[in-house]
Amino acid sequence: MRIAVLLSAGRHAVSGRPAPVPVELQAIRLAHDLGGEVTGLHAGPDAAPLKDTLGHGLPRLVHHRITVADDPLPSLAAALIEGAFDLVLAGRTGQGGEDTGLLPYALARQLSLPLVPDAAALAEGPQSGTLSVEQALPRGARRRLVVHVPALVTVHPAAPAALPFAFAAARRGAVEARPGLVAPRAPTQIEERPYRARPKLIAKAAAGASAAERLKAATEAASGGGRLLVDPLPEEAAREILTHLRDIGVLRSR
Amino acid sequence: MTRPRKNPRTERAAHRVEGGARPRFDLAATAKETGRPRRDPRGEERLALVPGTARRRLDRTQRIAATAISQAPAPSAEAAPTVRIIAEPAYLVAVVPDASGGRLTPHDRQLLGAARILADAGGGAVLALAEADDLASAGADRVLALPVAGYDPEAKALAVQAILAGLDIRHALFPESPDGGDLARRLAAMTGEELFAGAESLSPKAVTRAAQGRRIEQRRAPPRLISIKADAVAAHSGARHEARPVEFGFPAIALGAILSADFIPADPAKVSLAEAEFVVSAGNGVSDFNAFRALVAALNATPGASRVVCDAGLMPRAAQVGASGTVLEANCYFALGIAGAPQHLQGVARCEHVVAVNTDLHAAMIERAGLAVVADAQQVMPALLKLLDKEAGG
Repeated sequence: MRIAVLLSAGRHAVSGRPAPVPVELQAIRLAHDLGGEVTGLHAGPDAAPLKDTLGHGLPRLVHHRITVADDPLPSLAAALIEGAFDLVLAGRTGQGGEDTGLLPYALARQLSLPLVPDAAALAEGPQSGTLSVEQALPRGARRRLVVHVPALVTVHPAAPAALPFAFAAARRGAVEARPGLVAPRAPTQIEERPYRARPKLIAKAAAGASAAERLKAATEAASGGGRLLVDPLPEEAAREILTHLRDIGVLRSR
Repeated sequence: MTRPRKNPRTERAAHRVEGGARPRFDLAATAKETGRPRRDPRGEERLALVPGTARRRLDRTQRIAATAISQAPAPSAEAAPTVRIIAEPAYLVAVVPDASGGRLTPHDRQLLGAARILADAGGGAVLALAEADDLASAGADRVLALPVAGYDPEAKALAVQAILAGLDIRHALFPESPDGGDLARRLAAMTGEELFAGAESLSPKAVTRAAQGRRIEQRRAPPRLISIKADAVAAHSGARHEARPVEFGFPAIALGAILSADFIPADPAKVSLAEAEFVVSAGNGVSDFNAFRALVAALNATPGASRVVCDAGLMPRAAQVGASGTVLEANCYFALGIAGAPQHLQGVARCEHVVAVNTDLHAAMIERAGLAVVADAQQVMPALLKLLDKEAGG
């Protein structure tokens, strides 16, 4: 199976220095575990920060050189068509760029590939030419999907951790530089400023309320006082509790 | 409970007869009443008295008295809840809530609150593209269910695209959740429109989002497609809206590329406490931990514990709930024998439903709970186990 892993120029979450995006390293691990020929693809001005990905199990990285003002989408689409990959893996969102997570969707649309989001595990499908993807859902649940290859799959942070960095593998791996396509980005109305952290909503705490009131708002029931049973028989209490748990849909009735 | 407050000075002034050198008073004249009612502390105390306990106990929160009073007389004719109707909207603001299982999540409510902000700015109406229980109170004017069954995001995106093309929709809002964010991006790729992904603040004039690893804030006037992060906008808290079902002729939608989709529920024993759905927690009032573990398994829940229990080594430290343990995101929290220290309640703050069993009526956890049982957890646990056994058997 020929697998392409899309790599973006990320920035470290704390230091802000150029670094690979963690979820893309996890994508390399998924591709590595699935077996086959794995190629990394990057379109951008500089591939130096991505050299670390070679140490995390990527044997080969193809760098399509474009300027900062260029859109990476046409270069990547052309490279994917040329490479005739069976599977394309991408991170969920980048970290350090626009961070919208839109590029895999635009690529899948342009190449008419089915897109499966948020993969936590990959395996060969039941029939040949299919892929079984375990999709990570909130609260630890999973959804097992079967799609035909070729397909584009984005990887969720719940996927297995990236392979540990190996210096010899990083030395062995090859970076191949190619010219990318010139495609200036469409102008947008977006205005940029330094980031300002905004307060998250705290349940019903009035602005300017005292600390005691804010604590009360954060710890009190959202719906006011509920039902109160004083000294019921244990059996009666158990019945009431089970009925209540079923009413709120936590306990599925048998 | 209250009777008019007596003010001896005004009474004396009212009795005073005008004129004359010496002050004279006519005690037969009636005094004017002052408006302020006088408190009756003894009457209040009688109401706060908890019946059926050997020790004299007072419940100052008045929950027993309030329920007793509300049950006794027939409820007075309540004013009918006002419903705000927007008959002729200038435009529509579409909302695609996740509404998994027909219930609105808190994130969905915030999304509808955001849609109300955008709709109320110009006389528009909110169109919810999902079936759910209480869309009216969440602020939806129109409801239209998407004709998509099972997990088929591509077909769902096609259906939403048909609605965007067919109706006068100025904005379409999506939750920045796994499914909602996926749908928004599919739609953006399909229509070629710009998506403002992961908005962190929203007003009729501007939306903002973080970019470049939270170093840059991007800002613009609200575009057509916006996905909104959780806890960015407050939910709608005003009057109910009509949530009227509307008709729409969907075109025939081809099935997506997904061959099969099986839901694999999370194993509650393995899932981490932070992302558990239902947590059953033991506190100082629990001494039989074998029964506790059996109950947790029977309820198909994730075990938790209070600090006291973890300090005593009766439960692992990873199970500790609270400010110094794990802050839960659970849907339901079932506290057995936990009084509810403020640090523990902070860990439970985001749980939607709380059920508490505790011997102390005045415990903070009893106050916090949606269903509070004042009883010994050690006796309730075997009763619960027996009942669950009986239901499983019969």
